[in-house]
Amino acid sequence: MRLMRVLGFGAWLLAAGAAHGHAVVTHNSLKLKPPAANQASEVELHFNSKVELDLSEVFLVSSGDKMQTITARPGPKAGVVMLDLPALQPGEYAIKLKIFAADGHLSEDLLRFFVREPAVR
Amino acid sequence: MGFMEGIANYLDSLIGGVDLALFSMAVGGILWGLCVLIPWRDKTEYNQSLLDKTTALIFFGAQYLAVTQFVKIGLKIWLMAATLGKSPFPAFFATSQFQAGLVRALLALGLAGFVRWVLTPHSRSRVHWLWAAGIVAPLVLSDAWLVHGASRLEDRGWLMSLTVMHQLAAAVWVGGVFQILLLWRLKKQNLMQVELWPVLLHRFSTLGAGAVIGLLVTGVPLAWYYIGSFKGFLGAGYGNLLLVKIIMMGMALGFAWINRETAREYFATRGLYALTVRVPYYIEAEALILITILFTAASLASQPPSVDIPHLVAGVDEVLNMFAPRIPRWESPSHAALLAGEAGRTAIVGQVPSEAATAWSDYNHNISGIFLTSMSFFAMLSYNARLAWARYWPVGFMLLGVFLFFRSDAETWPLGPIGFWESTFNNGEVLQHRIATFLVFGLGWMEVRARMQQKQSGLPYVFPLLAAFGGMMLLAHSHVGFEPKSAFLIQVGHTMMGVFALILACGRWLELKLDSPGKNIAGFVSVFALFQIGVILMFYREPLY
Repeated sequence: MRLMRVLGFGAWLLAAGAAHGHAVVTHNSLKLKPPAANQASEVELHFNSKVELDLSEVFLVSSGDKMQTITARPGPKAGVVMLDLPALQPGEYAIKLKIFAADGHLSEDLLRFFVREPAVR
Repeated sequence: MGFMEGIANYLDSLIGGVDLALFSMAVGGILWGLCVLIPWRDKTEYNQSLLDKTTALIFFGAQYLAVTQFVKIGLKIWLMAATLGKSPFPAFFATSQFQAGLVRALLALGLAGFVRWVLTPHSRSRVHWLWAAGIVAPLVLSDAWLVHGASRLEDRGWLMSLTVMHQLAAAVWVGGVFQILLLWRLKKQNLMQVELWPVLLHRFSTLGAGAVIGLLVTGVPLAWYYIGSFKGFLGAGYGNLLLVKIIMMGMALGFAWINRETAREYFATRGLYALTVRVPYYIEAEALILITILFTAASLASQPPSVDIPHLVAGVDEVLNMFAPRIPRWESPSHAALLAGEAGRTAIVGQVPSEAATAWSDYNHNISGIFLTSMSFFAMLSYNARLAWARYWPVGFMLLGVFLFFRSDAETWPLGPIGFWESTFNNGEVLQHRIATFLVFGLGWMEVRARMQQKQSGLPYVFPLLAAFGGMMLLAHSHVGFEPKSAFLIQVGHTMMGVFALILACGRWLELKLDSPGKNIAGFVSVFALFQIGVILMFYREPLY
């Protein structure tokens, strides 16, 4: 009987996986309007569901995987989030999102992007 | 992900399946009383013990549903605090997760109290059963604000309604099966008249058929809304888990159909043999499948709907390629080569896919496949009385467990630099691998012991139970990363193995319980499922990421 209890607890432990999350970014402005070098910019993210912004975190990841928290604020309509990016040097970056969706699931997402050298005239 | 975040995330994911099982026990139990037991119709037929046990099971479900809901809220708070590194208050109080969760927990507590102190002493009263249904209704409705539909930007109302009706239909089926298992226990203990067994089985088959129709009527539009295309059904995690749910539902329906037909036959022949020697064990297998479906449903809830990620959906050819026959990888890259590529593979900025990591994983899976196909070969031989030694084939699981312990997570102890405890509790994937390793070794050890001992014991049943738990784990296995398409292609093989692990478990369970010829058929199916798992593993190729 004791063995069965142990196995039962084991089963309870087993039946799980880490969450990918239901809230995902469906559109973002990074592709259409990539941030310009050395200028602060704004990024617009469209989610597939409502998100609890007060319970979420957004990071800017730069070379060497250095993380910097960035401000996220509600956009013009539900499911839209605006991010304020600081002025960035040319190079590869990523935006790492830890978002709590309104359905209670933690969603993690990663958006990679490049800041290009300004065009020489 | 830190230690606390990893554990909180893991527990938060698994509690969904426990919640659904308890919800079914409570809600399905009330509907069982109202539609199947109908205790107010004939006061002489049911003894008090049957009625008391029926309400006790409903009370158990409602009571622990309340506890589970409170724990879910606690886990959310823990997960948020661990993720954000600060208190989630007061923002958390304003979320629907907190508000609807609290209401749901209180309603479940109210139901438990009503069942314990009001319904149980009046279990033959129609009015009291209807009152219980009246309490169940808001409990079922409160879940609407906790499902994914509630967070959608459009069509919230009907998505929430359909999901709640889907859950209700599932609760009727699963809760009814729990009650039937209770009935069988009472019958074995002579606490119930034997004639009631076919009567109640027959009555439940009608309610169960209605539940299945309800599942389909609500499930099809939900699936269409969240998946939206055939490609999304086959090429994304959400669609894949739904496919697995459909396969398992087909299996459960198969057993339900046999039970229904056997109950119908009884009324023509009045022969109780099949109803008492076979049907109870089919119902046990059906229960195992249904519980696995509930855990898969909970896992499904953590996947992004296919319709929202069309750019990340894999093609049908890519999915089929994961199962294509090929020469297994015999040679492993060196440990040094693997570790050299890890920094680049795991980097966020400047990520470089690692050929060595992919080859390492392929080798692990392919060699494990060879272990399993060899074991299935010896398992088939063991049915020949002249090859009695082959019955110890489960020793192969112990060897496989040792192999996996060394090879599963190369960056961790004993081969890698990250310590055992640190790696186990800091990374959900490593934790799942560690549990799987322990499970595989334990599976072999228990089964070898069971086959060595002469006297009757419960030990032989450990193997199918552990195999079923392993199947659940595979169905919930996720490779969390930031490459959803690669993660899906890895997932697709694991979920199919999860289904075969469940078939293996049910087959072995029935082999142990049934008489001939069902026993032999079940045994063969079980060994065939083991062979199939081995084949999938032997041909496994991990996408480069």
